[in-house]
Amino acid sequence: MTDYEAIIGLETHIQLNTQTKIFCACKADSWYDPPNTNICPVCTGLPGVLPVLNRAAVEKAALLALAMHAEINEVSYFDRKNYFYPDLPKGYQISQYDRPLASGGYMEVPMPATPERPAYVRRVNIIKLHIEEDAGKTKNVNGRRWIDFNRCGVPLVEMVTGPDLRSADEAAQYLIRLRQLLRWLGISEADMEKGHLRCDANVSIRPKGATYFNPKTEIKNVNSIENVRDAIQHEIERQIREVEAGHAIEAWTLEWDEDAGVLRKMRSKETEADYRYFKEPDLLPLRIDAAWKAAILAQRVELPLERRQRFIEAYGLPEYDAEILTGERALSDYFEQAVQAYGGDPKKVSNYLMNDILRMLNESGKSAAELRLTPAYLAEILKLADAGTINTSTAKALLQRVEESGRSPREIVEAEGLAKVSDAEAIRAVCHEVITENPNEVATYRKGKVTLIAWFVGQVMKKMRGKADPTLARQILEELLKGE
Amino acid sequence: MELCDLSAHELSLLLRQRRVSAVEVLESCLQRISQVDGRPGSLEPGAPQPEDAERVHAFITLTAERARAQAETVDRRLAAGEPVGLLAGIPFTVKDIFCVKGTPSTAGSRILANFVAPYTATPVARLEAAGALMLGKVNLDEFTYGSSNESSAFRPTPRNPWKLDRVPGGSSGGSTASVAAGEAPLSLGTDTAGSIRQPAAFCGVVGVKPTYGRVSRYGLIAFGSSLDCPGPIARNVVDAALMLQVIAGPDPHDSTAANLPVPDYLAALEEGVRGLRIGLSPDYFRITFPDAVRGEYDQQPIPGEIEAAVRRAADILADLGAEIVENVPMPNTRYGIPAYFVISRVEAASNLHRYDGVKYGYRTPQPVQDLHEMYRKTRNEGFGLQPKLRILMGMYVSAAQYSAQYYQRALRVRTLIRRDFEQAFDPQGKYRLHALLTPTTPTTAFPVGAVYGDSVLMQYADQLTVPANHAGIPGISIPAGLDHEGLPIGIQFLGPDFSEALLLRIARAFERATEEASWRRARPEVLQRLVA
Repeated sequence: MTDYEAIIGLETHIQLNTQTKIFCACKADSWYDPPNTNICPVCTGLPGVLPVLNRAAVEKAALLALAMHAEINEVSYFDRKNYFYPDLPKGYQISQYDRPLASGGYMEVPMPATPERPAYVRRVNIIKLHIEEDAGKTKNVNGRRWIDFNRCGVPLVEMVTGPDLRSADEAAQYLIRLRQLLRWLGISEADMEKGHLRCDANVSIRPKGATYFNPKTEIKNVNSIENVRDAIQHEIERQIREVEAGHAIEAWTLEWDEDAGVLRKMRSKETEADYRYFKEPDLLPLRIDAAWKAAILAQRVELPLERRQRFIEAYGLPEYDAEILTGERALSDYFEQAVQAYGGDPKKVSNYLMNDILRMLNESGKSAAELRLTPAYLAEILKLADAGTINTSTAKALLQRVEESGRSPREIVEAEGLAKVSDAEAIRAVCHEVITENPNEVATYRKGKVTLIAWFVGQVMKKMRGKADPTLARQILEELLKGE
Repeated sequence: MELCDLSAHELSLLLRQRRVSAVEVLESCLQRISQVDGRPGSLEPGAPQPEDAERVHAFITLTAERARAQAETVDRRLAAGEPVGLLAGIPFTVKDIFCVKGTPSTAGSRILANFVAPYTATPVARLEAAGALMLGKVNLDEFTYGSSNESSAFRPTPRNPWKLDRVPGGSSGGSTASVAAGEAPLSLGTDTAGSIRQPAAFCGVVGVKPTYGRVSRYGLIAFGSSLDCPGPIARNVVDAALMLQVIAGPDPHDSTAANLPVPDYLAALEEGVRGLRIGLSPDYFRITFPDAVRGEYDQQPIPGEIEAAVRRAADILADLGAEIVENVPMPNTRYGIPAYFVISRVEAASNLHRYDGVKYGYRTPQPVQDLHEMYRKTRNEGFGLQPKLRILMGMYVSAAQYSAQYYQRALRVRTLIRRDFEQAFDPQGKYRLHALLTPTTPTTAFPVGAVYGDSVLMQYADQLTVPANHAGIPGISIPAGLDHEGLPIGIQFLGPDFSEALLLRIARAFERATEEASWRRARPEVLQRLVA
């Protein structure tokens, strides 16, 4: 049997999170707003209106281009893409065609190791990156078309990869990394369920080692990364079945039915539509001069994969920790600030983050930047524990207390007397109490069940609200239990 | 002479001296309209009525109440000694291609007949802010596509006040007719290939096509977006300068509006032409057009009396101290119309996409099976002949397989036309012109019904005006005499980018020098009848 490889290219549409739309002053994000409430003469295509470019959209798109190692073109142009559709109010979409914002570029997608193969990196070329306006939404209800123009004019970046991905998993990883990057750069909410990130996939197969391309199919309307993976996997398997059965692959457009987990044919791809592109006469050429470019470059930040590598090298973190800590920009910033404030072993900080703080974030839905338990407070807790002022369980309890109250850890320790009690007499008195109150357990211990000592220590800690030095308590208890 | 026959600057003086009120000025204009305009253009005009041929028919929509409210505000302010705008109390008409909030904004088309604009175009807003009184919306060729006003869906269409069996020109024919007939001293028009200057020449008034981007296009229903220029129409040069002063300037709603300060157009108006170099070009004394059968260019000289008017003007300017430079070559003038045919239609077809029956305007009342049938029927019933011709040609020449051959080539021709002007105006060049003096049109006003239908011939009416639109440069047309039939002849001054102040100054010098000329005393037919 022939061994096949899949050839996959992804076309993504990324909704930029600007305050206002790309060509007018209407609010861009309408997710929570009723239909046709964020509209004006410009975005509904009234006679006589003109577009005025939102510079913030250009800057956000340029940041993405830089992160893709693409070249920002000093001059680019907007073009009209002409077609009729009810939710396209001007009858053309303002897009970019042959002179787009950026050229070239690539993204490196690390593929984690699996039991079958080691980890590797897939380089994906970006063959198209341009700015355009979104269209509205059409809903068919009982044979009537309802049109919502709220989304008209929301800024989008269209980004298309080369046919460089080789499996459904690679496609999914590309989207995971892209989503991480978009959020990291703060240019898109990148939520596929809300349409901030939309993906169409072009899929074909060929015998492994071949260098030609076979006809491809296009999968549309997939609204989660999981579904992209599933849909592509199904399509690869279908194409292999077809080819094995001696059938040709036709250039269909397919739609993923999420509920049924199947692909449905939307249409056969006829000849390419002619959009009669021409330069948009209502907008000037988009010039990114040296000063503007410098201002954009100044907004550039360290990218997640770069930071991940630096965490491994500079802080000696295991790859696993570095990966998780750089999953989100706020979390990685938190980590780094805490490490600096603490000055001790970064791995210790990582442990607190990976275990306690991440749980806290998951439960509260907050981002790391929103915690009242600031990196400085976390560092203070770590220092208090290192100095022996508090024990580990107090330290862990303090995390929650600081987050709830917003007070500094030291303040809480002092105000509530949480400092570790190392006074042997005080502990001895409590140990006496515990022994007197629990004659049955004492008998069992003395019959030889010495592991019960942990239970006795626990009782002492409980009575002393966790403040006792547990090592000292154990010594005293053993002495008292043995002594009679 | 009624108040409505006075110029804007004369009225302005009387108003400021409180010798007349804005309401009186308005009433005078309204009375003139009731005397000469006849019934307004409508989609259902019914059978032609005998008096139709005796009236001007400039208006589609009269907004007398809006103007009256504005006039009362101006009078109140003047009475209270409060400051008023530059055009306070001056009535104006608006070509119905501009959106004005609360008014039907029809573009002269059935497809927009029921569209009431929810916002106001920038130039109109600026006129109103300067205290001018908006009298109403005047007729035009459908979507501005024409040079005679005969393509409007609103009938009866405007007639030339000078001779009522003649067209007023177009597409701003309602504007120039309303100004020539004394219905208003000012009108706001648009010029895509000559649509201000050609009807201004036909109607014996002044029309300015400003530099592209000098006046905002926001609210102007687009024809050829890279060519369209709003501009003033007036009865004399001073009024045109006043109006341009108000409407020009940067606009945050139009990114193609030039971000340059507006000079004082009145300051240097009377400074004369001494030392200015004014050119004449043989390429503007003939029209050149392709013979469709032979595929070659034919040439035809323009009528002798039009050339004579231009030469007479050159002599007058020379007497005033200007240096006349003969034989300036403008070799690409002949390609202006073919290139315009392609560029304007590509833009027009795209600009017309939005009229689809979905959001506003006309939608077919017939039952339809699906969306595409709704589109087809709506557009077939809603658009007249001219938009359809432009859509067909625009779609053809922008199609992927033809675009390089037609559209891209036309854009290169456009660059060549611009180069002709750059060379003529280059201060270090061979000609070093301050302005080029040309005829505005190859003919005077032609008879109603004589040319309409022959779309190619109609286009050549624009051959001498369209190069300025390609190049983006300003031009002004002013009256310079009458032909043997007593019809106005227009001459045109063209200058480099943003040279409006200079062009107005040259035009004003000619106007002053000819104040006593006998042809200046002639009155349009429609006004002569009024006196009789």
